[in-house]
Amino acid sequence: MSYLRLEGLSKRFGDFVAVEDMNLEVEKGEFVSFLGPSGCGKTTTLQMIAGFVNPTEGRIFINDQDITQVKPDKRNLGIVFQSYALFPHMTIADNVAFGLEMRKVEKPERDERVKEMLSLVGLGDFAHRFPRELSGGQQQRVALARALVIRPEVLLLDEPLSALDAKIREDMQIELRAIQRTLGTTTILVTHDQSEAMAMSDRIAVMNKGRLAQVDRPYTAYEYPEDGFVTGFLGKSNMLSGLVKDVSNGVTSVDVNGVNVTTHSERYDIGATVHVSIRPEKIRLVEAESGIVGGTVGARIFLGNQWIFQVDTPLGEFIVTLQNTGHENVDEGHRVGLDWSSQEVRILPQEQS
Amino acid sequence: MAQQQNILTSTRPYLMSAPALAIYVGLFLIPLIMTFMLSFYTFDLNKGGILPGFSLKNYAEVLGDPYFHGIFLRTLWMSLLVTFFCILLGTPEAYILNRMSNRWKSICMLAILGPLLVSVVVRTLGWAILIGSDGIINQALIGIGIIDTPIKLMFTMTGVVVALVHVLIPFMVLSVWASLQKLNPMVESAGQSLGAAPFTVLRRVVIPQIMPGILSGSLIVFALTASAFATPSILGGRRLKVVATTAYDEYLGTLNWPLGAAIAVLLLIANVLIITSYNKFIERKYAQAFK
Repeated sequence: MSYLRLEGLSKRFGDFVAVEDMNLEVEKGEFVSFLGPSGCGKTTTLQMIAGFVNPTEGRIFINDQDITQVKPDKRNLGIVFQSYALFPHMTIADNVAFGLEMRKVEKPERDERVKEMLSLVGLGDFAHRFPRELSGGQQQRVALARALVIRPEVLLLDEPLSALDAKIREDMQIELRAIQRTLGTTTILVTHDQSEAMAMSDRIAVMNKGRLAQVDRPYTAYEYPEDGFVTGFLGKSNMLSGLVKDVSNGVTSVDVNGVNVTTHSERYDIGATVHVSIRPEKIRLVEAESGIVGGTVGARIFLGNQWIFQVDTPLGEFIVTLQNTGHENVDEGHRVGLDWSSQEVRILPQEQS
Repeated sequence: MAQQQNILTSTRPYLMSAPALAIYVGLFLIPLIMTFMLSFYTFDLNKGGILPGFSLKNYAEVLGDPYFHGIFLRTLWMSLLVTFFCILLGTPEAYILNRMSNRWKSICMLAILGPLLVSVVVRTLGWAILIGSDGIINQALIGIGIIDTPIKLMFTMTGVVVALVHVLIPFMVLSVWASLQKLNPMVESAGQSLGAAPFTVLRRVVIPQIMPGILSGSLIVFALTASAFATPSILGGRRLKVVATTAYDEYLGTLNWPLGAAIAVLLLIANVLIITSYNKFIERKYAQAFK
């Protein structure tokens, strides 16, 4: 049975459609990320769950109770805001205790729970400091402790890590995930950072133009994206346009500029124009004149752990990424062959645009 | 050469601020010192008026006479009332203003700042037309039959306070508004998400953070009310004497300049004492909001 359920949720501001017919079920204890570019409706959806924005249509259920019309202060949700939104005039302990105070929790229990939560986020010694005396990462933890101490039914995270440095952000991702696992709080994360969504979530809900594009486990969404948008948003890809030539025995052959690209799928009929997608890390560099297509290395970039090659081929420009395990002699201007397994090729619909 | 430039750069700030400094010294500091000295002179009509010297007679007279006590207490009470109503009306006004769309915000801002564009005397005479015994308010109330005899608003504390609140509320709105703009709008949502009802959010989250604005607004309003002259003199008249009008009467009525000066100096001292101690009290109570 799902714990948080969105049913046909829509939000329109005048003529502008922010969220359109959103349906989603989240299990108890699950960590789901809303991922998408800015303006895709992910934050609006979060605000509808929080109760700060009224949906135009649709309903929101938590634990089978319709909360669509419930005021934000009665929903019992924990929210971590992008700007942290700590109360600057209160100490860390008072900030964390605020929600408990509102719930009329007796002082001894309140103190106990605040202490417990602050030590869980590693800020046990900071109880009597004020927010401005803390670093960004520490303020982030206070915001998390404040949201979690009330034992919320659902934890909502609105781009909580986007204001942090890259290094601290990675640490916080791991820590946040660990805390969420420990407490088993059902969590919704809103983010535009695909690596953050993949690192932390049980499932990713990719959103585009107000609609859910795909909801899947991170691996599934990355490996089996349902359209070009999801493919491109979750990582880099080489997108080729072609015509379906033959479909037989679970294998589709696509003609791309005269080169035959095969893929394991039977979803499209002969004659359909489709996109073919190959992730850069799935491609191998082989001897020139062997492999599926040949080309010339146009540029190469060394990133330490990996190489990025830009290869000009008759099919267009390919991006190939390879682990740093002996490719230093393949230089710009060299002729190479590109090869890949037909298992790694995805066939996608041509976007109607 | 280098040294010359050095001299120039080091004296330039003084040169640039010299005109302002001259105005400050000439028009404020010197008259203030002269008033201070004058307050120690004595006055005797039989001996030809003002006699230079040093005497505490004027201070003794003001501090010892119940007549003056009454005037000072009335001024204090009036300043407290006006400040209180300015806080009560101006703070919500600023809060609502801050949440308006930009178009409405500028329209309402104009309405709030409007009173400042009109001369205080003209504005006060306007109030006199409104609140006089045969003024518009009384005529209307009698006309629709709510009252039989006119309400007394002219020459009463109520009338003066109403007019002063109208005159001074822009200062309160502006300073509260300035501190509201430093407020992270998300903290209100955060408070609500933690289970605080909207009013609790205001009381526990918003107001403590805009305390610096309320403080500076009330200091301005208090100081301006305590030294207000035009409004109390036109709407309060001789029946509702305050310190400023009393000093004026001493100067121009009885021509006892030294006594008037002593009253003015005492008003200044009282103002400074009240304002600094209020400031200290609020800053200590809401220490974190001031950092």
